[in-house]
Formats: sequence, structure tokens, C-alpha cells
Amino acid sequence: MITLTHFLVVSACLFCIGLYAVLAKRNAIMILVGIEFIINAAILNLVAFGRYDKINYGGQVFALFAIVLAAAAVAVGLAIILNVYRKYKSINPDNITDLRD
Amino acid sequence: MMNLSPIVASLLVVILPFLAFLIQAMLGRRSQQGTISLLAILLSCLISATMVFPKIWNQDTQHQALTWFSIGTKDFQIGFLLNNLTSLMQLIVCLVALPVHIYSRAYMKGDPGIHRYWMYLSLFCFAMLLLTMADNLLLMYIAWELVGFASYLLIGFWFHKESAVQANKKAFIINRIGDLGFLLGIASLYSIYGTLNLVDLFGEHGFLNTVPPDSSGWMTFAGCCFFLGAMAKSAQFPLHVWLPDAMEGPTSVSSLIHAATMVAAGVFLLSTVFPLFNTTVLLIIAIIGCITAFIAAYFALAQQDIKRILAFSTISQLGFMMVAIGIGAWDAAMFHLVTHAFFKCLLFLAAGAIIHEMAHLKAKHQLDFDPQDIHNMGGLRKYMPKTFILMAIASLALAGFPLTSGFLSKDAILINALEWGMQQGGLWLLIPIALIIVSFMTAFYIGRLMFKVFFGKLRINVENPGIHEAPGQMLGPMVFLGICSLFVVFSLNPLSYQQAFVLKGFEFDRDYTELHILHTVVPLLMSIGSILIWIWAYRWYAQGEAGGSFDKLRMTESKLRMTFPLLQLSLNQGYLNEFYQKAFVNSTVQFSNGLYWFDRHIIDGLVNLAGSLVRAISRISAWTDRYIVDGLVNTIAGSTYYLGHLLRWVQNGRLQNYLGFAFTVLLIGIIYLIFK
Amino acid sequence: MELVLFYAFAVLAIGSALLVVSLKNTARALFLFFVVLFGMAGLFLFALADFVAITQIMVYVGGVLILMIFAFMLSNKELLADLQNTSSRFLSMPNWQSLLLTLGFLAVMIYGIIEWQQHTPNWITQNIHKGQVILPSDNNINQLGIKFMTHYLLPFEVISIFLLMALIGAAHLSRKEDKQ
Repeated sequence: MITLTHFLVVSACLFCIGLYAVLAKRNAIMILVGIEFIINAAILNLVAFGRYDKINYGGQVFALFAIVLAAAAVAVGLAIILNVYRKYKSINPDNITDLRD
Repeated sequence: MMNLSPIVASLLVVILPFLAFLIQAMLGRRSQQGTISLLAILLSCLISATMVFPKIWNQDTQHQALTWFSIGTKDFQIGFLLNNLTSLMQLIVCLVALPVHIYSRAYMKGDPGIHRYWMYLSLFCFAMLLLTMADNLLLMYIAWELVGFASYLLIGFWFHKESAVQANKKAFIINRIGDLGFLLGIASLYSIYGTLNLVDLFGEHGFLNTVPPDSSGWMTFAGCCFFLGAMAKSAQFPLHVWLPDAMEGPTSVSSLIHAATMVAAGVFLLSTVFPLFNTTVLLIIAIIGCITAFIAAYFALAQQDIKRILAFSTISQLGFMMVAIGIGAWDAAMFHLVTHAFFKCLLFLAAGAIIHEMAHLKAKHQLDFDPQDIHNMGGLRKYMPKTFILMAIASLALAGFPLTSGFLSKDAILINALEWGMQQGGLWLLIPIALIIVSFMTAFYIGRLMFKVFFGKLRINVENPGIHEAPGQMLGPMVFLGICSLFVVFSLNPLSYQQAFVLKGFEFDRDYTELHILHTVVPLLMSIGSILIWIWAYRWYAQGEAGGSFDKLRMTESKLRMTFPLLQLSLNQGYLNEFYQKAFVNSTVQFSNGLYWFDRHIIDGLVNLAGSLVRAISRISAWTDRYIVDGLVNTIAGSTYYLGHLLRWVQNGRLQNYLGFAFTVLLIGIIYLIFK
Repeated sequence: MELVLFYAFAVLAIGSALLVVSLKNTARALFLFFVVLFGMAGLFLFALADFVAITQIMVYVGGVLILMIFAFMLSNKELLADLQNTSSRFLSMPNWQSLLLTLGFLAVMIYGIIEWQQHTPNWITQNIHKGQVILPSDNNINQLGIKFMTHYLLPFEVISIFLLMALIGAAHLSRKEDKQ
């Protein structure tokens, strides 16, 4: 029997890897990948908890919603990346420093 | 002609030269001819002669004044006082200034600074006229200073000459001494009477109306102060040294200074404040005058510069006037002042003409000699006969020959002095006797001048010297002055001075009795003595061995001087200048050097010590400031800067960094919550 | 046996994820991303969420990943250089600040999980007690379909409209600029 803790630990690891990707990667697409990791970690949690809710199937339903949202987010994110690339000829976030004081 | 009241007329007389001065000053170089100055003095002269003098002379005194300014409750007034004395003086100033102006047009022609000359001349006339008309001592003092200043400008007119600069400096400094006396006199007079107005002081007719008791000491002091002022202005011993040096100015200026303006101011002042003097002061005046007369005549004996001889004769004659004032006969002094004004002016103008010609000769033949040295002249009678005649008249007047104006005025002084001496008796008789001797000396030195210049033959050996008569513009004024030097102008009786209208105008009671016998004896004695002396001088200079060539003359004179050291003394003006140089100038210089040393080494040392101390303290303070105070501030500022820099770095525009910071804070928050 | 498989999937997912963030070559990283997603789908199966696992593979692998690779190809002009890059550096240097932060989070979460183990939420124990837990034998797809059409109808509609909006927006954002 696989306990909830197992899922939680795996999900925590995946979340942290995703976080690292978001913070450290020098490529916008890889940042997007990192975000997907984080979302996947969340979905894993939802699914794992959803096992104990047979009446509403809340966990799995919301996992599905989350997958859809993630897909939408990726679509919009990639569109933004394309625009950024068109403007700056680069997708390295280090080169895009318009927010600087 | 318009009919103006005398006051307005005399206001015009004073103002006109001042306007001329202003216009000349504004025109500057554009006005070379001096027409404006000439016109102004001509108008002044006419107005004075027609509208002021006839209406005032022997008639009522006129006085008009307005309040000038007030100090506390005391009002100071400005105004004109017209009486016999002032109107006469005004007329004389105008009458002498006019010929000098005309003469200057020819004499100063072509001078590069001529526009300044006219300006100064007008200023000089204005100052002198103001001095004569002033109704209070303060105004008089202002005019007095203006006269001194204008004379300073005129003496130093050729300021590129070192000697001229020295001379005007000397004149200025010595006049300063006199001015100080005058000012002290004014101050003490004000402290006694509380007013400076001449009318209030002396009454309408020139008498002191109230003498406060117990003020004789003050009065003596005030009198001495006024006399000190007059001494400097009228070149009395020992303050006479500036006058011979003042010959550095243009000759026409010398004539003006000597005849009517500058030196006359002192005598005029003493005559004005005459009632002020008590016996002590009068005695001092008489003694000083006597010494001056004698010493100056003595100095004149051996001078070689024509202008210097005349300068010393002026000093000597001023000494006469001082004696006259000292013995109480200020009317005689004024009379002599008037006559002297004309003939001395004439003498100077004639001397100017001669120097002019000599300078021409020098320039023409490119010779190197002093055009003012009488040893270089001689035989000029042939070349300049009119000048000779005019100068002879003036010389005779100076020597006191009958039929001249000088005869009258000099006799007036001598007789008055003798009468006074008889009255006083004893040692006081020395004064009239000295004056008589001085008269003879005067006759001798002026004779020497005449014979050396006009007789014999020219001592400059050149073919065709080209000396000729002065132009009409110079000769005209001289003729006018020559006429004024004759007796007819002053008195119809050529032998009795008592008939002179000037003296009649100043009639007052004397302290001493009149001795009729003197009125015949003294003129006779003087005339005979003078004639004898002239004959002697003629034989000596014109005919004798000294009448020969220049070298011979010079040799004779130097031989004479070797034998008679007194003559050497005379030539060097009694070494007075050297004495002053040693006694005052050198001691002042040495004192100044001492003070300089003191200043340099002690005061400067102290100052420097204090300075170094302050510097050392400042260094310490600077160090403290830099390394402690500034260090603190810089540390704070620096740390703030670094902190700011650090925080600024946070704001680097990188989204990932922002996210990282956000997560860091979040992490810290969670950790905080966990461990709370 | 079940535990062994779980661990295998977990190691596959986590290891692949680690490689994804460590690789320098983006193209390789993106392909490794497949593996991660597959691993995750496997893990979903262990949570008895078969439909979610299928959806994961369908949406992610079929949609998101293809989209990503497509975008990557479009944007990355250094792609060729990357592919030809035979650099000795296979892995990118870890960014130490991020690493520190990440490890911090991991530590906090592990701590949280360990703390959490002591008291299980009430609703879980209640459901276990009542037997309201999903069992491997349950027909999940049927149940999910019924739930979507009944209990979760409104969120379902909203999310579909949202998806449409997002897709239109993405298309709008990425269209070529008009030549003006």
C-alpha cells in the first residue's frame, strides 16, 4: 500500500526541481517547463488526496481542470515568448531588463 | 550795462571763473585757446570794476548770507561780505589775473597740456575770488584749501619734470602745516565766540564787538594759529621754502601766485582777522616778518636763477607786509600788497618773456645752458628794449624809487615802523632799522638782476642770437601792469603816501603817535640810499670786471664767494633746505625706518607667530575634521551608499531575481512560522 | 511489488526532471520532459486516477510538448549551434542561490510532511472509516463523466470557455504583425 506520504515527498521533490528551473534557467522555454513541473507536482497532490474522496471525485476533477489550465497557460506563455523573441531577438530573461530602475 | 546790486555782481564775479573751469574741464583738449577762461576773467574784471568796487569803496558795507547748514542749534551761514577790504582785494585779483590770462595765451601757446592749464587757472581764480568774498571763516577755509589745491596743480603743471613734482609736493606739504594752523584757529575761535561769521565777530566795520574776559590765553593761541596759516600761505620764515621751488611751474603761474593770489591770501587773512590779535601775537608777527624780510633779501643777493631772485624778493616783500601788520598798520600792509601785486606781476611776466627768448635761443642753436640763469644773459637791452623799460619800472618800484607805487607803499611801511619803534623804544627799534637795511639790499639785488640781464653784452657766444621783443599779446598786459606800477594810479602826490586812496579807505586810529619829521626824512633817505646802491651795482656789474664774459663773471663770483662765505650761504639759501632735509625729512625717514623695522620684526613677528600658531591649530583641527569627523560622516555615507547600492542591485529588472527574492522571503516567513 | 514499481516511476520522474534542469542543451531537455510527464502519468495510476493519467499523456505529450518544441524551433536561433555544440560541458553549472533556495524549500516541505504525518485530517479518517475511498475496482471514467455533467457542470463550462479564450488569446498574441 502506497501511503499519502510517498506521493507528498515525490511531489515536493518535483516542485523543488520546477522551482529551481524557474529561478535558474536562462531560457524562457525552460522556465515554462519548470512551471509545468510545479503544476504537475500539484496535480499529483490532488490526485493523491482525491483517492479518499469517492463521493465527489474532487481530486481527479480538479486535476483535470488543472491540466486544462496548464495547457492554456502554456499556450499563452508560448505566445508571449514568441512576442518577446520578436522584440528582443532573445529568449534569455537576463537580457530583458526593462523593469530595471 | 545792467545795474546789478553789488552782492549779485560779486556773486557773478566769483561764479564766472568757476563756470569757465567747468566748461574747460568738459571741453578738454578741444579748448586750446583758453578763450572761455579769458572771457570769464574779463567779465569778472569788468563787473568788479564797474559794479562792485565803485559802489562799495568808502561806502556802506554790504552783507548777505543764507543759512548753509545746521549742527544742533548752531546755524552755519554762507554769504558774501563786501567792504573796503574785500572789494579792493577782489578788484586786485581780477586786475592781476586778467593780464596773466592774456599773457598766457602767447606764453603757453603750443604746450601739450594747455587745456589743463586753462582749467587750473580758472579754478585758481575762482578759489581766490571766493576767498576774498567769504563772509565766514569756514567758507574762507574752503576757498583757502582750494587755492592751495589749485596752486598744487599749477606748480606741478609740467608733471613730467621730476623737480616740478617735488616742488608741488613740497608746496602742498608745507601748506598743509599752515592749513592745520588755520583750522585750529577757526576751531578755537568758534569755541570762544560760537560763531564764525566775520560780521558777527568783528562787527560791520571790522572791530571785535565783544571780547570775553579771561580768554587772553585762548586769544593768543588762536592768533598764533591764524598766523601759522598765513605763514605757510604767505611764505614766511621758516615755512618759506616752498615758494622758491614753486618756480618750477610756468612763469605766468608764478606771477599769479606771487602777485595777487596765493601769497596775498595770508596777508589778506591777517588783515581780515586783524582785530583778533593781541599784543603778543602782533609782536610775534612783526618779528617773524622782519626775519623773513631780512633773510629772503639776503638769499636773493647771490641767486643766479632769475625766477628765484624774484621769488626771494617776493618773500622779502611779504615780510614787509607782515611787519606792517605786526606793528598794527595793516592798512599799509594792504597798500603794499596792492602795489606789490602789480609790479611783481610785471617783473615775473617780463622775466617770463626773457626766459621765453632764452629758451628759443637755446632750442635754435641747440646749446646746453640754463635759460633761467642770469649769468647766461646780458645786453638784452638792445634786443628787447620795451621789455627793458617795463622791467626797469617794476624794478624801480620794487626798490622804492620815487614816482613809483612801490615808493609810496614801502615808505608807508617804513614810516609806520619807525614811528612804532620810536614809541616802543629800546630793542624794538631794531625792526625798523632792519627794514631799512632790507630796503637797501632789495635795491642792490634787483639792481644786480637788471644790470646782469640787460647791460653788458650777451654771454652766450653765438652769431645772430635772434632774440627779439615779446609778441604783442605778451607785451600788452605788461604795459598795463607797468602803468599800474606808477604812482598816479594810487595817489596824485608822488611823494606822500598819505594821499593814497587805498590808505584813505582804511583810515583808523593808531596806537602810536605820528612823527611828521619822518615823513620827509625817510623817503629822502631811502631814495638817496637806493640811488647810491644802484650806481654801485651798475659800476660793479655793468661796467666793472664782472661785466665781461660769462667765464670771467662766473670766476669772479666764485672768487667772491670763496672770500665771503656769507655769499655762499646766500646762494644756498642759508642751507635751510638742507637743514630741513636733515632735520625733518631724514629724521622722519629714519624714524620711519625704525618704525618699519619695529613693524617688520616685532609686530610682524608677533603676527606671524600668532599666524603660525593659528595655522598649527588649524592643522590639528583639519586633521581631526578630516579623519574623525569626516571619517564618521564618510563611514555613514559610505555604508548608506553600499546599502543603497545593494538594494539598487535588487532592482535589476530580471524577473527571475524578483521571483527568487519573493520566494526567499516566503521561505523565511515559513521558517519563522515553523519556529515561532 | 507495487511499491517497487512506484519507486521506479518516482525515480524515473525525479531523475528525468533533474536532468531536464541540468542539461545545457535545450532540445535534449525538452525531450527529457516527455519522460518526466510519462513518469508522472505512471504515478497518477498509483493514485488510482487512470483517466487523469490518460489525459496527462494526451494533453501534455500530445499538445503542450509539441507546442513547446514548435515554439522552441521558431524562436531559438542558436538551435543549430546548440545541436552542433559538442561542448565538454554536458551539464550546466548549478546556480547556487537558486539551488540554496530550492533546497530550503525542499527541507521545509519535508519537515512539513513529517510534521503532518502525526495527525491525518479528519475527513480522510472519516472517509476511510466509512469506506468512501476509491478502490482499484471502481469505474472511474463513468463516475467522472457523471460528476462533470451534474455536480461540476458550471466549472466545466467555465473552464471550457476559459480554454477557448486562452487559445484565441494565444493565437492573437502569436500572429504576425501587420506590415504597416
